[in-house]
Amino acid sequence: MPEVKTYNRRKMVILFFAVLFVAVFLIGRLGYIMIGRGEYYSEKAQALHERERAIKAPRGRILDRNGVVLAGNRPVCTISVIHSQITDSEQVIEVLSRELGISEETIREKVEKVSSREKIKSNVDKVIADTIRSYHLDGVMVDEDYRRYYPFDDMASKVLGFTGSDNQGIVGLEVEYDSVLQGTDGYILTVTDANGIELANTAEARQEPVAGNDLYISIDANIQSYVQQEAEKVLIAKEAIGVSIIVMNPQNGEIYAMVNAPEYNLNDPYTLNSDITYTTEEEKQNALNQMWRNFCINDTYEPGSIFKTVTATAAFEKGVLSVEDTFVCPGYRIVGDRTIRCHKTTGHGLETFRQGIMNSCNPVFMDVGARVGVEDMYHTYEQLGLMSRTGIDLPGEATSIMHKQEDVKEVDLAIMSFGQSFQITPMQLITAVSAIVNGGNLVTPHFGMYALDAAGNRIETYEYPVENGVISEETSATMRDLLESVVAEGSGRRGQVEGYRIAGKTATSEKLPRGNGKYISSFIGIAPADNPQVITLVLINEPTGIYYGGTIAAPVAQRIYENILPYLGIEPVYEVQDSEAE
Amino acid sequence: MREEMQENQNQPRRKRIRFWNPGEYFDYSLLFIVVFLVGFGLIMVYSTSSYTASLDYGDAAYFFKKQALFAVMGIAAMLFISKVDYHFLKRLTLIAFLGIGIMTLAVLVVGSASGGSTRWLQIGPIRFQPSELAKMAIIMYVAAATTAQVWKLNDWKVLVKIMIPPVILTGFIAIENLSTAIICGVIIIAILFVASPKYSHFIFIAGVGVLGGGLFLLTAGYRMDRIDAWLNLETHPKGYQTLQALYAIGSGGIWGKGLGQSIQKMDFIPEAHNDMIFSVICEELGIVGGVSLILLFIILIWRLMLIVVNARDLYGSLLVVGVLAHVAVQVLINIAVVTNTIPNTGIPLPFISYGGTSLVFLLVEMGIVLSVARQIKIRK
Repeated sequence: MPEVKTYNRRKMVILFFAVLFVAVFLIGRLGYIMIGRGEYYSEKAQALHERERAIKAPRGRILDRNGVVLAGNRPVCTISVIHSQITDSEQVIEVLSRELGISEETIREKVEKVSSREKIKSNVDKVIADTIRSYHLDGVMVDEDYRRYYPFDDMASKVLGFTGSDNQGIVGLEVEYDSVLQGTDGYILTVTDANGIELANTAEARQEPVAGNDLYISIDANIQSYVQQEAEKVLIAKEAIGVSIIVMNPQNGEIYAMVNAPEYNLNDPYTLNSDITYTTEEEKQNALNQMWRNFCINDTYEPGSIFKTVTATAAFEKGVLSVEDTFVCPGYRIVGDRTIRCHKTTGHGLETFRQGIMNSCNPVFMDVGARVGVEDMYHTYEQLGLMSRTGIDLPGEATSIMHKQEDVKEVDLAIMSFGQSFQITPMQLITAVSAIVNGGNLVTPHFGMYALDAAGNRIETYEYPVENGVISEETSATMRDLLESVVAEGSGRRGQVEGYRIAGKTATSEKLPRGNGKYISSFIGIAPADNPQVITLVLINEPTGIYYGGTIAAPVAQRIYENILPYLGIEPVYEVQDSEAE
Repeated sequence: MREEMQENQNQPRRKRIRFWNPGEYFDYSLLFIVVFLVGFGLIMVYSTSSYTASLDYGDAAYFFKKQALFAVMGIAAMLFISKVDYHFLKRLTLIAFLGIGIMTLAVLVVGSASGGSTRWLQIGPIRFQPSELAKMAIIMYVAAATTAQVWKLNDWKVLVKIMIPPVILTGFIAIENLSTAIICGVIIIAILFVASPKYSHFIFIAGVGVLGGGLFLLTAGYRMDRIDAWLNLETHPKGYQTLQALYAIGSGGIWGKGLGQSIQKMDFIPEAHNDMIFSVICEELGIVGGVSLILLFIILIWRLMLIVVNARDLYGSLLVVGVLAHVAVQVLINIAVVTNTIPNTGIPLPFISYGGTSLVFLLVEMGIVLSVARQIKIRK
């Protein structure tokens, strides 16, 4: 047997050191990876392992001035599937299709898609979600969530607006105050395996969601509700296409009610509220957009005779008119080369200005407008905010359509003096008239008052600009007096409310094109006349039958005042009648 | 001892080879290291496979149980073989070598597919990888053939003659399993290197090896692909496995995340209990655990070297050289792969990685080593 020789031993030792050399090199390499590059690789690995799971923050509520919830949240669920955890895909498809009313093909596609998580449906009612949960299907996830809920369905729909499936405001106050109402979503940082399955007990960090802030608005749910009833009544009675009513505090611009009948159901905003037929998706979308429109601020119209208050104001401000000035109305006035008729074609004859406004006599105002002149007329428009947006806290406010000042001819001025040939929004009109009767302060109409966080701390108080003294206190007092005469003895008689001094003005605007027989009948009422606390604008769009504003719109304001004035704590006073009796 | 010497002198020159080992020494240190490695390997196989095993088989211990069974079988085989006189193996060399040669050919023809390449052979209920046996057959053959002609090893023609049969077998293996072929090649060279008094032959062989290897890699498209993945690990789609291993190693730090706390084993590293197990050891036990394991392997190799140096005869010594080369080259290549030091090639970590055939035959080889160690004469 050959022995192990010295050279064999030497070579073995060489071999050993060769192995040792490579091993030491690999230890060095290991040290470089684990210490030198450790941070880099562990960060990469962590990014690979961690998944962020959002915890939805509840959206803030919208409450009326007395704390009545107008927009709140209701728990709903989101159903999703995790491909890798599904054991019986046929049963999953069958159950989800049946319970959710989604076609099997749609669900099959999502079930068979290899992804960490596939959302089947969100905003699922909790009852349905609980039923699905009771099947205990592997790989089906039911997550609770919040859905916007409007307890009064269609109340103030065009003011509040609604939210989309992701709880983001789409129209109305919901979008205007989205940043206030939106909470901050929280998250759970979890560790998952390579298939995206969360590992037990590995939640590493949790950021609690911050609930959105509650928004308190100036609307009074009781007033809004009553006004809506009145609007709907007259909508049906006059077979009109729409009735819009704004009730506002003329002193500070707080809006108590804004109704645009027909309203729509905020809990079901994608269902049309009329029988409009549509054939294409585009037509349906247009019809929906039309339904969501807030006529009071999104649309413009010719204000008609109510605008005579502005003309009169301009004249008083310029000092070219006194209440006892006399005018003659032959039933028409020739301006330039045109003959413009009064609504009373036989004429009002000889009348004072007070009688002129009570009769709503067009020739009187054509004369007054001519006295003022284009430049000063436009100056007054400017002062009353008619040349710009009101700044109301709702999205999509329209602005007035006016002649360029330099283009206004004698005839144009005459027509504009009684409220035609230009367009403004109802909101601009009520804001301008508020300034006329409140002593000359141009307020910013608004809803938002303040916001409270979830703990009830006031985090924001909304303040709105007021432009004081846009017209003189004296002119304002004169106008209050004149407008009270209109209701007491003139065309606004049907706006009278027993025990209250009501000021107001009627209007009947013929829609364009002229002669199509379509009108907007309106009435603006101010109560009490000597110290305006509530201003109400009623607009009836395309009434059938009698269409005079004094006949159909004034009684609506009357009924509203009969109810809301006592409600607002404004006591009836019988002084006027007493003094007349003496 | 004296009795034995006398007995030897009285025997005829070609004596009958004993079956039972007459040696008295037992290398408990080596036994301890091997058993420790096997035990540690079982723990790590359980740690790395339990998550995926419970997902895929509903039994967290699925792989652990199979591996534990092989470990018990392997240790029993090791202890038995250590009792057998290793000279008895000489008689089995030719049969074993031819038998395994046939099996290696058979696997190319009828082998059942597993993991992309055909490497498995099924005989009745037993399913095994002939390439694992081939390593042992090559060790036996080269050790025996070299011992027989050791006085003529100065002649390069003799060297080549000894190499021809095992190199042909290695060639068959290389068709399906390049990594095992490389190991076989290293074993052949290592035994001849230690046996031969010359150096020049081996410098020449090393030169031929480097050239041939380079040509071989460049001519096969899929091998170039692996090299591309190695160089552009983070962007190459085939770099995924190694990149995940690096993530695991890199997140280990000094002390690791703690035994069982690896996240990379949660299906991020495909089959973490196999070739990539070292990366999870680093993730869970840190650089301390990783380096300790490498040091343990170095101690094992050092023990083997002591047996090589002190073996009773050259045959025993060369057997142990073969085993040493086998263990060392697998450890080094495996760790080099998981640390992306060399391109990816599937070689398991000895005693640790999951795999029954590999574990059992490694333990059988350790049995042979213990048998050689038994006959070491301790100078008092």
